[in-house]
This record gives sequence, structure tokens and C-alpha cells, in this order.
Amino acid sequence: MRLTALAILLGAGLMAIATPAQAAWRSYISHPLGFSFAAPGELKVEKGTYRGPVAGAHDSVVYRFVDDDIEYKVVVIDMGDKANDAATLLGEAGYIFQDGKKVLMDTFGRVDRQFGRKLTIDLPNNAGRATAAFYFINGRIISLQATVLPANGDYDSPETARFVDSIAFFTVRAPDDAIELPAPPK
Amino acid sequence: MRRSISAALAGAAVVMMTAMPAQAAWKSYINRQLGFSFMAPGEVTTDVGNFRGAIAGPRQSIVYRSVEDNIEYKVTVMSFLQSQAEGATLLGERQYMFQDRKTVLADSFARVGTGKDAVYGRKIVVDLPDNKGRTTGAFYFTKGRLISLEATVLPAKGNLASSDPDRFIGSIAFVLSHTEPGAVELETPKLE
Repeated sequence: MRLTALAILLGAGLMAIATPAQAAWRSYISHPLGFSFAAPGELKVEKGTYRGPVAGAHDSVVYRFVDDDIEYKVVVIDMGDKANDAATLLGEAGYIFQDGKKVLMDTFGRVDRQFGRKLTIDLPNNAGRATAAFYFINGRIISLQATVLPANGDYDSPETARFVDSIAFFTVRAPDDAIELPAPPK
Repeated sequence: MRRSISAALAGAAVVMMTAMPAQAAWKSYINRQLGFSFMAPGEVTTDVGNFRGAIAGPRQSIVYRSVEDNIEYKVTVMSFLQSQAEGATLLGERQYMFQDRKTVLADSFARVGTGKDAVYGRKIVVDLPDNKGRTTGAFYFTKGRLISLEATVLPAKGNLASSDPDRFIGSIAFVLSHTEPGAVELETPKLE
């Protein structure tokens, strides 16, 4: 009897070691950009460039996290000089995201009086599965993209939806302990 | 023998012409003031309509409409010149309302033009409730105007999979130099 109990305890201990440690989810907020979201892992801020035939070339800021072989990215593209083309610019961003890939979902995104799109795609060459949401607000495209990498393997992981659906444009909805996002590097 | 063959052919022609509904020719229509052109069959009439969305609020619209062979063709134009930067959400709301509580058969990217002149929108096909027919819609927001094209195949038509709605939807152009010569000029009614 004692031996069985010991074996069960040992087994449970081994399982805990085998399961990768998952980072806690934290809330982030940007008052200047007017949005909040939640993500796990360590935050890195990068600068990037977005290009589209209609949009042209535009600077972007990428807030990036990696946890348990899922990459989480919030991409902010400043389109202030072309804001009057908001609808087409948002359509183009969604189109570029899924172009040439296998689309598994393409539906409305609706958050805090903002309509956008949510898409899930399989990346080519078994490079993973990405779920993204696209919104255009205050002259910016805000895109959340979560990619389950092959090393994770659980392509139906609920974490991607949790990340994408955590976006809020009414910043009062952010938790009190939300961390203010740093400014992008110069 | 020859006489009976001729009679049979003539009879068949008469029966076919009587049984098949006469289909009107498709014509090109253009509105230079509002910046678009399209093609439709039948007689196009101009009306003023009303729209209300939670975000868009109450709006008057210009409606160009024709009915041919039990298919209703409609182009609706709403002006949002003061809120162009909200175009993405206004367009999203319009698309959402179009498909809300209906059976969505298709929902895909739509694009008019290419390169830097491209205008992105959506094309959505829905079955109407209570077997009232099938509507194909295309929705665009460009130059401060929300332009939607809707073609509804009515139950009397029978063939819900008719290709005419696609021909109508696909005929929209925003670069007017692409419009064929001789297009009928559409009037622009004044809104309050």
C-alpha cells in the first residue's frame, strides 16, 4: 500500500518535471496608443517595417513575447498619413497575412466599438499555425499575432485565442496592475 | 416530310421563346461625381434610402436599383466624408449587419483594381431567412463613401446559384477610365 502511494507520488513528480514551465500572463497597456492586452513571457520591443502595395512602406513597433514555443506579437503600424484609406489599408493587411497560405478561419473581430478581422492560417512547410486579429484605430493598424511553433505541436492551443481576444481599446477595461508599454527604441 | 420538320422547328422556337423570360441587355452605368461605375440589366431607378448602424448612426443613402428576371440588383452609396478615418470600422459594421442572423455561404476578400490603386472590401453570400432568396453582397469604403452592391436572387427565379449576381458584383470600378464608352450617366439626388 505504502509502496503504491510512493510510486504515485514519484510519477506525479516526474510529470511536473516533464511539463514545461508556463509563464504567468500579465496585462499591458499603452495610454498613448490607446489599447491593452495580456501575454505571457518576457516582453521585447522591436522596430520593424511594414510594406503593402497600397500602404507603401511604414514604420512599425513590435511588442514580442515567446512562451512554451508560442510566439505572441502585437504589431502597431503608424498609418497617420493615410488614415482616410483606413478600410482598404486594413483589408490589405489581412489579405497579405493570409496570401498564399491555408486559411482555417476568417471572421469578424469586434471589440469596443471597433470592427476588424480575425484569421487563422497554417504556415507553409509545417512552420506552425498563426491566429491574428487586425484593427484600424486612431490612424494605426493594430495587429495581434500568435504563432504556435512546431516545437509546441498543440495547434489547437487555446492560448492563441486568449492572447488575440485580450485586446481592449477602452483602456479603462485594463486591470489595475497592467504594465505600461515602453516606448519603442530610437 | 420537309414541311413537317420545318413546322416542328418553328413550333419549338415559338415554345422556347414564350417559355423563357426575355432577358434585358446589360448596360454600363457611371456616376462621375461619386466616383464609380457598374453594370446591370433592366431599368435602373434612383431612390433615397435610410440606414442606421450603432456606429454609423442614422444615414441617408442613394440607392440605384433594377429588377430583371427575378433578380434584384442594388447599389447603395452612403457618404462619410467627415469620418473617413473610421472607414474600417464603418465598413466592418455594414458587413456585419448584412450577414447578421443569416446563413453565410461565403465570406471572402474582395479587391477592385490592382497595386497602389486597389480598393479592398469583402464579398459575402447569404441565404435569406424564410426561403426569401439568396443575396450576394460586396462592400467597399473609398474616398469617404461606403458603397455596397447587393444582388438578390428571389425565390421565383428558382436557380439560386445564378451567375448573374457575380457578374453584377464584379462589374464595379472605381477608376473610371476603365468604364466602357457609352455608359449611362447616373443622377445624384440631393440628400437632406
